Amino acid sequence: MASSMDKPATGRAKHSRLARPVLYVLLAFVGGLYALPLVWMASTSIKPEREALSDSVGLLPELPPAPTAAGAGDEISYAARLAEQVAANYTAVIDAPNADFQLYIRNSLIVAALSVAGMTISSAVIAYGFSRIRWKGRDTLFLGVLATMMIPFTVIMAPQFLLFKHLGWIGSWMPLWVPCWFGGGFSIFLLRQFYMGIPRELDEAARLDGCGHLGTFWHVILPLARPALVVVALLQFIATWNDFTGPLVFINHPSQYTAGLGLQMYQTAHGGTPWNLIMAASVIVIAPVMVVFLLAQRSLIEGVATQGLKD
Amino acid sequence: MVRRAFFVDGIECFNTLSLPSPVRFCVLCGSSPSSGYPAGVPGRVTSRRAVLAGMAALGAAAVLWPYTPKSRRRVPRGGRGRVELTYWEKWTGLEGLALQRLVDRFNASQERVWVHLIPVGDIDAKAMVAIGGGDPPDLVGLYTYNVPGYAEARAVMPLDEFVSRGGLQREGREGERRLEAGTESERGVGGGGSGGRGEGDGVADAEYAPGVRELLWHEGRQWAGVNTCYTLGLYYNRAMLREVGADAPTTVAELDAIADELTTQDAQGRITRAGFLQNLPGWWPYLWPAMFGGALFDAGRNAATVDSPACVEAFEWIAATARRRHGVAATRAFAAAFGRSMHSAQDPFISGRLAMIVQGPWLANFIAALNPALEFGVVPLPVSGALRASGRVDDANPVGLLEADVLMIPRGCPHPEEAYEFLRFHQQQREQEQLALDHFKPSPFAAPSPEFLARHGHPGIRVHNAIVGSRNAMVLPRTRVWKQYSDLTTAAFDAVWGGADVKQTLAGLNERAQQLIDSAEERRRQRQSGRRGESNEMKTSRWHGGLA
Amino acid sequence: MRESRRNLLAGLLWVSPWLVGVAAFLLAPLAITAYVSFTDYSLLEEPVWVGAANYREMAGDPVFWKAVRNTGLYALSFLVLGTVVSVLIAVLLEQPLRGRGLVRAIVFLPTLIPVVSASIGWMWLFNAQHGLLNAVLGRVGLPTPDWLGNPTFAMPSLILMSLWVVGSYVVICTAALRDVPAALYEAADLDGMGALARFRHVTLPMISPAILFNAVMSIIWGLQVFAVPLIMTKGGPNNATVVFSMYVYSNAFAYGRMGYASALAWVQLLATLALTGVALMIARRFVHYRGA
Repeated sequence: MASSMDKPATGRAKHSRLARPVLYVLLAFVGGLYALPLVWMASTSIKPEREALSDSVGLLPELPPAPTAAGAGDEISYAARLAEQVAANYTAVIDAPNADFQLYIRNSLIVAALSVAGMTISSAVIAYGFSRIRWKGRDTLFLGVLATMMIPFTVIMAPQFLLFKHLGWIGSWMPLWVPCWFGGGFSIFLLRQFYMGIPRELDEAARLDGCGHLGTFWHVILPLARPALVVVALLQFIATWNDFTGPLVFINHPSQYTAGLGLQMYQTAHGGTPWNLIMAASVIVIAPVMVVFLLAQRSLIEGVATQGLKD
Repeated sequence: MVRRAFFVDGIECFNTLSLPSPVRFCVLCGSSPSSGYPAGVPGRVTSRRAVLAGMAALGAAAVLWPYTPKSRRRVPRGGRGRVELTYWEKWTGLEGLALQRLVDRFNASQERVWVHLIPVGDIDAKAMVAIGGGDPPDLVGLYTYNVPGYAEARAVMPLDEFVSRGGLQREGREGERRLEAGTESERGVGGGGSGGRGEGDGVADAEYAPGVRELLWHEGRQWAGVNTCYTLGLYYNRAMLREVGADAPTTVAELDAIADELTTQDAQGRITRAGFLQNLPGWWPYLWPAMFGGALFDAGRNAATVDSPACVEAFEWIAATARRRHGVAATRAFAAAFGRSMHSAQDPFISGRLAMIVQGPWLANFIAALNPALEFGVVPLPVSGALRASGRVDDANPVGLLEADVLMIPRGCPHPEEAYEFLRFHQQQREQEQLALDHFKPSPFAAPSPEFLARHGHPGIRVHNAIVGSRNAMVLPRTRVWKQYSDLTTAAFDAVWGGADVKQTLAGLNERAQQLIDSAEERRRQRQSGRRGESNEMKTSRWHGGLA
Repeated sequence: MRESRRNLLAGLLWVSPWLVGVAAFLLAPLAITAYVSFTDYSLLEEPVWVGAANYREMAGDPVFWKAVRNTGLYALSFLVLGTVVSVLIAVLLEQPLRGRGLVRAIVFLPTLIPVVSASIGWMWLFNAQHGLLNAVLGRVGLPTPDWLGNPTFAMPSLILMSLWVVGSYVVICTAALRDVPAALYEAADLDGMGALARFRHVTLPMISPAILFNAVMSIIWGLQVFAVPLIMTKGGPNNATVVFSMYVYSNAFAYGRMGYASALAWVQLLATLALTGVALMIARRFVHYRGA
């Protein structure tokens, strides 16, 4: 994974030989600690219930072979038994009578697609207005964008509920994705930073070619901004997928649950659910985010890094 | 002009513009112009983009592929074309299956309506939000403590409204008959109609036990149908009681004596076997005053009474159990060990680590399934010596908590008439008792049918039924602030268990509860003075339409 | 003159979606909250004007004060511990060590995990009988408390869990660390400063803007944390982990007291603004800007 992120900060290369092993230990410790909860979650999800509820700290389940009939063929290998256990756990979750994870994931995908489309398009447009056009009051208003990032959702969730109730949107997913079509503070900020790195000469060249703002936006800015738009899309996908409070407040019918909400309802089901199945369900809900992360990890990290850069 | 070309070999980056300094790199391939690192393995960038694109395609396919939610798959071909109702219920597992059978019987018994039973978690919050948001289900299974609040808010439909509308013809005739017979008394209608027990109209025919009726009625009207009821009794392990040569306790003193003898602790002070602990299962922290003749609420005066002497006595008893006899830490740890194991093989009573427990009738069901060898018995709750001496409590009128689940029709639901049709079926004695049989619960009717008692799988069901009919049965406070009051009581119970002063805690609790009750009453008066009588219905969203 | 007016109109047009969105989904709800906070409103019935009764009730509500204490404790602990941990990890990851890219990814990953899954995973870790933490402690012979069921341990457990999600703060510190001019380090070496002194006198001041940013974000996050306590402990045991947002939610959607919940929400908003302002003022003394 050699990359630009590995460029060492100079001035620190001079460490005594003694410190390096210590640092390596620390590094391993931090890495192990931060990886542990997820690893443990995955490990529990493949164990049979009685073992999950035991004291064992092993990563892989001990699966004693079922007694085979006398004179029967070979003993089933551990790998096969493990595969069988994994399949059993995960199908138990998918077939659970009181939770419909296939539906929940589908719902999450729909909401995520609508949110991502909305956020990307609207933020691209709004950020153009904040960066490429010089107008009075622009920078003050942009401070307002930053300020809106500070308002906690719990302050407005109840009145937003009332608002959506009067609009008749309760009972659909609209409260979740429609606000994304009006831009979001973080995406606007990110794109504005990006646009400001594009040379103004390009704008002027486009102007000479007869383009107005729309033309400049479409022909110059948008193509160049594609990497940042990808980052915005990915971050918004993850944010929507992970969103819990919004669906908790706005979604009531179980057939409309999103993945996170469905998981929480599954976990608190009347009568309790076995821990190994809860972990399996958890892994199912994490999986898409995990895949996105593995593929686009660097973009995401850099996208977050721009937040802290002084404007 | 900035290069916009993209070379598939991966040697050149997508573009050299990147996020602002200090990091300059290619977003997708990770190479950086200034770092001197190559842009990665040739072709690597393509493959990553391809995978992302592939995933997007997969996502789109998953969304666009038609998928029938599980709950809808049960509707047979012939079922299409019926009016489809949604019924939210809290039960899963065996209890849910029993109810599903009832719903199946209803669906099979007629051609007009199809009911979808949907298990919902956290149902009272979800129901309130759904009804308040204007998007409720047709039927919702809630708790009795919801009845006063929803009734006062007119958020559910009173059942007599269906009668007065004429409903179905049969119902109309019976409704008229009732009105003619002049049974519209203060306590409301709901008994005496002889429209054939076991068929027809469960709501009109129902003769509930008095305690159950109190739970379904509010201010003279019936707002809900009963959806199984239950009572709490003291379950004890016969073998362990034989060990100490005791009979089942009838007084609190006897209970304490037996519990003390049976509790064993190991060398570190951890409890290995407990006699009786009020925090297991800890689901009814407000139950204990009933054993001392106390109550949490006086409906006549609309007052919280948790600081009354009887309640104080009850909580002092709890404090004594926790602190003086067994130790706070030990009891807490012991109870915590069973956090998620109630009703499983590791349940404290079923696995023999707790000698006596206050539980509902379903416990027998779980014992039969998980540990049939367990010898157990059930008796009504023991009472304090003073209460027994007063003569108010006897075998015909034991003390216990009577609670029920209820079924209501939210206002603003899509199909109220059809929902009422289901409710009428659901309330028939035959159906309710079948459900109670499956749930191992007692019958909510004043006169349980003989077959019910004979077929019941619970050996001690008569005890539970006795509490249903008892005049000393405690019901939860009929006030709309009960949910909050109950949460506060739970906190008080925990505090007392942990060492807080009982009188002070209860005084504080009473004050706060009284505040809540008073302000709720105040608001109610304010609203009523603004109302133009009964015709002021809850405003529902235009999109979901009010009632016809 | 005409050009600037044209630009003004064009600018406003381009940002109009945001303006509409803020007005509809932020300002309007805030205004509604302000109005509803002076009423009693149960969602099922019409609101009834009660004046400042809700605000007066807050002062005498023990659960309110408990929520304030819990949230304050959580926010403060997370601010201090989170900042320290994120700076330390960022510094560690800047050392020339192999495999740090992997560790950076591992540290960042938890911020992307759905909060429900993360909470459930940690609930499982903290489980008193079967959790990994107690299993390990038990084997070593240390006491195995009930992390989420014991009032003394519940809040520290939640804080511990939150330290798992500092990935984005680490990333921001990393970016800031990269930004420190090498010349300063060389000058420090020439002056004979040791590693610790260099850290205190060069690194810290140079990255202080990023630390300030992280601090402000931590405060805002800490004051409105909601999902983690809701999922892990539901506010128990004995209200030990009732945080403010959870109390707002309970009042609005469980107890049917939207009016009281709105009053609570406004108090929360004003407190957040006030504390952020205080943080910025304090920061002015300590944060060193290198100039635009």
